[in-house]
Amino acid sequence: MKKLLAWPLTFALAAGSLAACGPKEEEGGKEAGKEADKPKQLTIWEDKEKGIGTQDAIKAFEKKYGIKVKLEEKPMLDQQEKLRLDGRSGKGPDIITTPHDRVGPLALEGLIAPIKVSDETKKLYTESSINALTYDGNLYGLPKSTETPVFVYNKALMEKAPETLDELKGDKFGAEYSYLANWTDFYFAHGVLSGMGGYVFKDDNGTLDPSDVGLANDGGVEGLDYITSWYKEGLFPKGIIGKDAGQTIDALFTTKKAASVMNGPWSFQPYKDAGIDIGVAPLPKLPNGEYVKTFIGVKGYFVSSYSKNQEWATKLVEFITNEENSKVRFEKTAEIPPVVKLMEDPIIADNEAAKAVAIQSERGVPMPNIPEMAEVWTPAANALQLSATGKSDAQKALEGAVKQINQNIETNHKKK
Amino acid sequence: MSIKTAKYIRLTLSYIILLAAIVVVVYPVLWVIGSSFNPGNSLMSSTIIPENATLAHYKNLFENTDYLTWYWNTLKVCFFTMVLAVIFIGLTAYAFSRYKFIGRKNGLLLFLVLQMVPQFVAILAIFILADQVKLLDTHFGLVLVYVGGLIPMNTWLAKGYYDTIPKELDESARMDGAGHFRIFFQIILPLSKPILAVVALFSFISPFADFILASVLLRSPEKFTLAIGLYNMISDEFGNSFTTFAAGSVLIAIPIGILFLSLQRYFVSGLTAGGTKG
Amino acid sequence: MTYQKKAMLLSVIPGLGQIFNKQWLKGSLFLLLAASYFIVFFNTLNMGLWGIVTLGEVPFRDHSVFLLVEGIIALIIIAIGLGFYAFNLYDASQNGKKRDQGIALNTLREQYLTVVDKGFPYLMVGPGFFLLIFVVIFPILFMILLAFTNYDLYHSPPAKLVEWVGIQNFIDIFALDLWRETFISVFAWTIIWTFSATTLQVAIGIFLAVVVNQKDLKFKGLIRTLLILPWAVPAFVSILIFSGLFNESFGAINMQILASLGIDSIEWMTDPFYSKIALIFIQSWLGFPFVMAMTTGVLQSIPEELYEAATVDGASTFDKFKAITLPMILFATAPILITQYTFNFNNFNVIYLFNAGGPPVAGQNAGGTDILISWIYSLTMTSSQYSKAAAITVLLSIVIVTVALYNFRKTKSFKDEGTI
Repeated sequence: MKKLLAWPLTFALAAGSLAACGPKEEEGGKEAGKEADKPKQLTIWEDKEKGIGTQDAIKAFEKKYGIKVKLEEKPMLDQQEKLRLDGRSGKGPDIITTPHDRVGPLALEGLIAPIKVSDETKKLYTESSINALTYDGNLYGLPKSTETPVFVYNKALMEKAPETLDELKGDKFGAEYSYLANWTDFYFAHGVLSGMGGYVFKDDNGTLDPSDVGLANDGGVEGLDYITSWYKEGLFPKGIIGKDAGQTIDALFTTKKAASVMNGPWSFQPYKDAGIDIGVAPLPKLPNGEYVKTFIGVKGYFVSSYSKNQEWATKLVEFITNEENSKVRFEKTAEIPPVVKLMEDPIIADNEAAKAVAIQSERGVPMPNIPEMAEVWTPAANALQLSATGKSDAQKALEGAVKQINQNIETNHKKK
Repeated sequence: MSIKTAKYIRLTLSYIILLAAIVVVVYPVLWVIGSSFNPGNSLMSSTIIPENATLAHYKNLFENTDYLTWYWNTLKVCFFTMVLAVIFIGLTAYAFSRYKFIGRKNGLLLFLVLQMVPQFVAILAIFILADQVKLLDTHFGLVLVYVGGLIPMNTWLAKGYYDTIPKELDESARMDGAGHFRIFFQIILPLSKPILAVVALFSFISPFADFILASVLLRSPEKFTLAIGLYNMISDEFGNSFTTFAAGSVLIAIPIGILFLSLQRYFVSGLTAGGTKG
Repeated sequence: MTYQKKAMLLSVIPGLGQIFNKQWLKGSLFLLLAASYFIVFFNTLNMGLWGIVTLGEVPFRDHSVFLLVEGIIALIIIAIGLGFYAFNLYDASQNGKKRDQGIALNTLREQYLTVVDKGFPYLMVGPGFFLLIFVVIFPILFMILLAFTNYDLYHSPPAKLVEWVGIQNFIDIFALDLWRETFISVFAWTIIWTFSATTLQVAIGIFLAVVVNQKDLKFKGLIRTLLILPWAVPAFVSILIFSGLFNESFGAINMQILASLGIDSIEWMTDPFYSKIALIFIQSWLGFPFVMAMTTGVLQSIPEELYEAATVDGASTFDKFKAITLPMILFATAPILITQYTFNFNNFNVIYLFNAGGPPVAGQNAGGTDILISWIYSLTMTSSQYSKAAAITVLLSIVIVTVALYNFRKTKSFKDEGTI
């Protein structure tokens, strides 16, 4: 029986491989040169619940150029995966909204296309925000908004924000905890480490060098020692270590057990909803007199590489992020656009929360957007926790982390 | 020591042990219920007996989330998973119990073992396959995956039960000229109600607990099941609400609890699982 | 030449052999099936085979991963086709043989009856089996094939093509310090975890079932219902709640239970040892109701006479448990117990949701409670190392499947018994 089966099998396989000659190359394709033809419609994926900020700009664009624009709201963090699928099947958008730390991976995968804009346009935005959207020397999008953790305090307990963090160590402001920060999460702790002189990747004129990790340098160690002092002196409870720390801190702040916290703009509304009269300020200074150098997140609009009308899509991106439309978006969504002129505009300068975020943003650094960053989060967080719980001293913990980060980068990011 | 005293001691000890077990089992469940009525957002600020009990979280659930949509989706998915699973498993198990065919000996074992392969890379494959056959982001696609996952283990359970139904019954029916289908539907099915009830229960509850497959296969929020909705509620880095999550969980546990209660009768008899056949 | 040989040779084109055997209807049916098979699937097979061999030639036009999937589907279709083809040859040759021996072939009516009779089990198993091919077999094939490619962040479609790289991934795994340094400690904990958590949940389940099942115990229904509660709450909900209850400064376990007993707070979340204890406790809590329900079923089916006979022989309660109850339970539930062990070996959810594998341990790149599966996940998936993840999973699967298979074989439940 076995022999009987063998030869038809080879037959079938041979027939199969002969026939298998792959897809036929499609004729035609793009005509080179010439300005691109005007498309009938462009599609843009906007962040969830943020469409109101872009509507007016889109209407104006439709009027000016006679191109219809379809706006769809999708959760920002899902857009990458959705683009992967829908882009391929042709149902994808021309423009997506994404935070800047995904730019590296997205560009590598080829899901977003570099855009060409004039230097004049680039100068509209803060330098750090443009850097954040640049990967491997190419600009991939234009910034929509910027965010970074700031100092949020309960006005009923604290009159005004203190000048230095150390001031918070003495006074309890009538609460159980004067100040809480999720400092075993590297996103929040980075500001302290880097304010003292540590860094994640060496910044070489806007290009990050993944082979030079500076977390365990003197500044980094000093920063972690400072963080650890908050836990050691009992100012931070042990219950805000690890994965549920963020929720726990929120709960303590909204139940008035903590007088102030370090948190981002996304927390303002929930805090207000919980009945807390919040004040917002840039973060108080570190003991060495430096500012806390928080991570900045920049959200931007990017052109899909599946788009058949990349030139016009770029135009639309430029249009909706210009000064006027950025201002409207700020009014509607309270997300702060990193447009240089708007920073001094009374609309932001007179808004306490917006101003605080804007000032803190200037003091911070963009979260690295290179794919190597994926290797940093866990080892760094582990080092923070090891030191905070006293299981290891800061120096050793950070050196261990750096060793692991380097090892992971070498293993997973060999560029061939 | 008299027999009576011995019995008395044994029973008292049993009750004490069971009471302790019940306390340990019920305590966390009470916490969920308690915190769902607590004002505030966090488990940390909750107490097991709320001081100012509030229905705010339940209201929040219905007004500010798509809870009802998720609930409806879940019930749909659960129902169809249950129906398909019972049909597939009922038939497959019967064949395994009564007939000779190629693959009978090792087929079931093979699948039981293959299911132990860690899933996380495989999920990528299911995702692409679903996309290829246009079942991505459909409840039907999700149901099929659930049913497939349920077949091996439950077929084994059901086969064990079928094996305890005397084969003489089939044979005498065959003598009387009954066909395969008639034997199955008129003789075997009525006798195997308990195990089919158990299979139905297992199938019905499995979609409630899965958030991984569901969140991979379902893409649009209006199609989410409860598990995804609730999981997102708590995993959301910013502004999550544990208490609303608790309220959502309580509303899931109630129907499942009732289902367990009402099927308990079958439960015990269905799971005899061929214990006597050895 | 004999009829057998002729018929078989003719059946190289399906159906011709049957027609030669004068089974007209069957023959034309086979011919029709074969023709439609090629017409319907030609493109799928053509693209699929090309795709699985090349994994694409032009970036952006060809998406390697999708091509791989299409290729696997093509292989499955070919396998089904070959199955049919083999049956066609077999059928032609069998009937030819009958003719050689001068036996009358089945009439149309007889053929129909054989199909219905012999085919019945296949008809019943068919739909489920078909589904299993796609839900269980297909993903595993995909994973195995992926292990031999270089699919990672830097070789991601659509910008890049994925290529076949042979056993490079497997070589890398063994060559890298990164994996080896931590492996031993993670592996040790995985084994401890699997055995302690599972054994505990099984022991508690059996114990409680036996206690509840005492004849003179009252409120059986109520007690069973309450004890089965953990099963009725979706596991991820319970785990997340436990994670809150175990919070060191604010959780109820430290603040209320231990405090009221005068015990100092325990570092449930930041000390690896206590985190492990908490996890084993949680898994026992989650897992015992299932075992209890199964055991209860078995207990009720043990004939009373056995116990009576033992009592006459003067056996104590414990003797009876050891000699009758336990063996019966273990015999009937052995396969379930095995799956419980493998389930916990792969129990990513409880590890990940409780403490995300933490707390960290100085000098190793796995958390204190990371088991193999959660460790591999965080090592590979956070940086999109798909092919490496596949390769390690394949190795891990081989181990799990071998161990499970060995144990299944040993249980009596899978030894065959008579059928109709």
